[in-house]
Amino acid sequence: MDGLTIGMIGFGVMLVLLAVRVPIGIAMLTVGVVGYVSIAGEVALFSYLKTETYWRFTAETLSVVPLFILMGQFAAKAGLSSALFKAANAWLGQFRGGIAMAAVGGCAGFGAITGSSLATAATMGQVALPELRKYNYSGALATGSLAAGGTLGILIPPSVVLIIYAVMVEANVATLFQAAFIPGVMAALGYILAIAIVVRVFPDAGPAGPRTTFAAKWQAILDIWPVLVIFLLVMGGIYIGIFTPTEGAGVGATGTFLIAVLRGGMKWKDFVDAILGTASTTAMIFLILLGASIFNAFLGFSQLPIFAADFFQNSGLSPMVILVGMIVLYVLLGLVMDSLSMILLTVPIFWPIIAGLDFPVQGEDLKLWFGIITLIVVEVGLITPPVGLNVFVINSMAKDVPMIETFKGVLPFFLSDAVRVVFIILFPTITLVLPRLLEN
Amino acid sequence: MAEGLSNIARPTDPVGRVLYNISRILAMAGGVLLCGMALLTTISVTGRSLFLAPIPGDFELVAIGTGLAVFAFLPWCQLNRGNVLVDFFMVRAPVRAKTTCDVVGGIFYLIIAILLTWRMIFGGLDMYNYAEKSMTINFPRWTTFPPSILMMAFLVVVIAYTVWRSIQETREGRFFDGRDDADSGLGN
Repeated sequence: MDGLTIGMIGFGVMLVLLAVRVPIGIAMLTVGVVGYVSIAGEVALFSYLKTETYWRFTAETLSVVPLFILMGQFAAKAGLSSALFKAANAWLGQFRGGIAMAAVGGCAGFGAITGSSLATAATMGQVALPELRKYNYSGALATGSLAAGGTLGILIPPSVVLIIYAVMVEANVATLFQAAFIPGVMAALGYILAIAIVVRVFPDAGPAGPRTTFAAKWQAILDIWPVLVIFLLVMGGIYIGIFTPTEGAGVGATGTFLIAVLRGGMKWKDFVDAILGTASTTAMIFLILLGASIFNAFLGFSQLPIFAADFFQNSGLSPMVILVGMIVLYVLLGLVMDSLSMILLTVPIFWPIIAGLDFPVQGEDLKLWFGIITLIVVEVGLITPPVGLNVFVINSMAKDVPMIETFKGVLPFFLSDAVRVVFIILFPTITLVLPRLLEN
Repeated sequence: MAEGLSNIARPTDPVGRVLYNISRILAMAGGVLLCGMALLTTISVTGRSLFLAPIPGDFELVAIGTGLAVFAFLPWCQLNRGNVLVDFFMVRAPVRAKTTCDVVGGIFYLIIAILLTWRMIFGGLDMYNYAEKSMTINFPRWTTFPPSILMMAFLVVVIAYTVWRSIQETREGRFFDGRDDADSGLGN
């Protein structure tokens, strides 16, 4: 049997294992190890495994990941989501649909200091849902806007998924964060626009809230100073290039810890909570990273990625058709899988294909452009049935709203995502302009 | 990520309780080490921006420290079913079918973890024999191998326990942590 056949069988077995509940990291490890042995022999495998675990966990490019997770955990304990929502609500609440818009705005602010969609949805849901219900927002609009707003946690940098993508395609993390910024802000504005359209069609879905005085508006802005400080320090530092992403994450974790203690009143119990949450998430991610690394070593031996790249290059299909095909595949995978696993599973095959095609953007720019498109489409999986995790988190908080209502409520935001992806594909400048500006 | 949905029930059997406590202590220790790395970075960056000397090779120390923390986190994650899986295709399957699959997945993990632990011993010996050092600060790389190997060995014990737990769950036809359905833990 040649390597290519083994590679294809390996990929197939891998999908079967995933379908029968084998955790993704373990499925990758199992198929990777067996495939590696069958192509390269056990002597090579045994030698490779001596230090592979160590290097995967100790990679300087990856130490940023646990630090960002820690930062997000402390941020969630710092009571910042409440201040963010109040600030956004002071400005937007008086408009029709404004309280839902404020929830999205609050999510965007929280997303600028955290890389987790679930944490964003969960913490913002706790503060915004009671307000939304108090002003008689429809269950669909209230839960839908929070579930969709939660994805801003990852669409607006920092973003763990983007770091992993950067490592896989050997792109610069800081540059990718720069590239993600404008599309992230567009996402927030697109969601707000979606709410505006929904309340125009269904005025009862989102009535206007009370007006606030001008002074109260500015006071509310002042109250979110810790978020501004952390964002300017950490993300500003990374964007301008004063910090490496790892340094930014370290400073951010220290900063959010201080804010959580001084302002959020973090007690020992909350601290333990944050640490154990970091432990679980970090271990889960690194097990998948280790699995992906061995699985990809095996795929590399099998020549499958090169074969796939050649195949598509000579297929006569236009690059755009192939890109759209990939996007459709991502949305379908997103129905059953989480974003990180999708990226780790597909990028080793998809990236060589994309890199071999004739797109209007090339080289490093292509890495940025494809990365941002991928980021958006894999995040859509968080709000699509049947396993849209943000939807489940928010829906479990609003006991009186049926799940089907929440999925209906998410639909306008899904359309907003689709429109944004089209714009980002047609106008690569949206992604590339900020990295260009900051280059100088 | 899984933290939003964590539904952690402490094991009630004596072996499970001991493993739970050790895993928790390890996870806390790893977390405190991680906080230490964050602090180290902050001090180094502050030092640099005030035109004093940064801590030389801080990024190497941070990588080594976070690496050690990851080893410390693995048993906790495994014990609390934190590893993300695709629940979609079996969501309506009977509990026994699910737990049987968990036994199979657990055995795969057990074999792989034993393999990795065994090979790491030789990796550590290589690092020691060749006196491998990190580039900037000459940190001897073998030094973190003994604790990492010990934590991997403990992970093997925890996986063996979780396999046993899944077997018991199959016998009784229910998940022990009170869920009628195991948390799919889909990420981010």
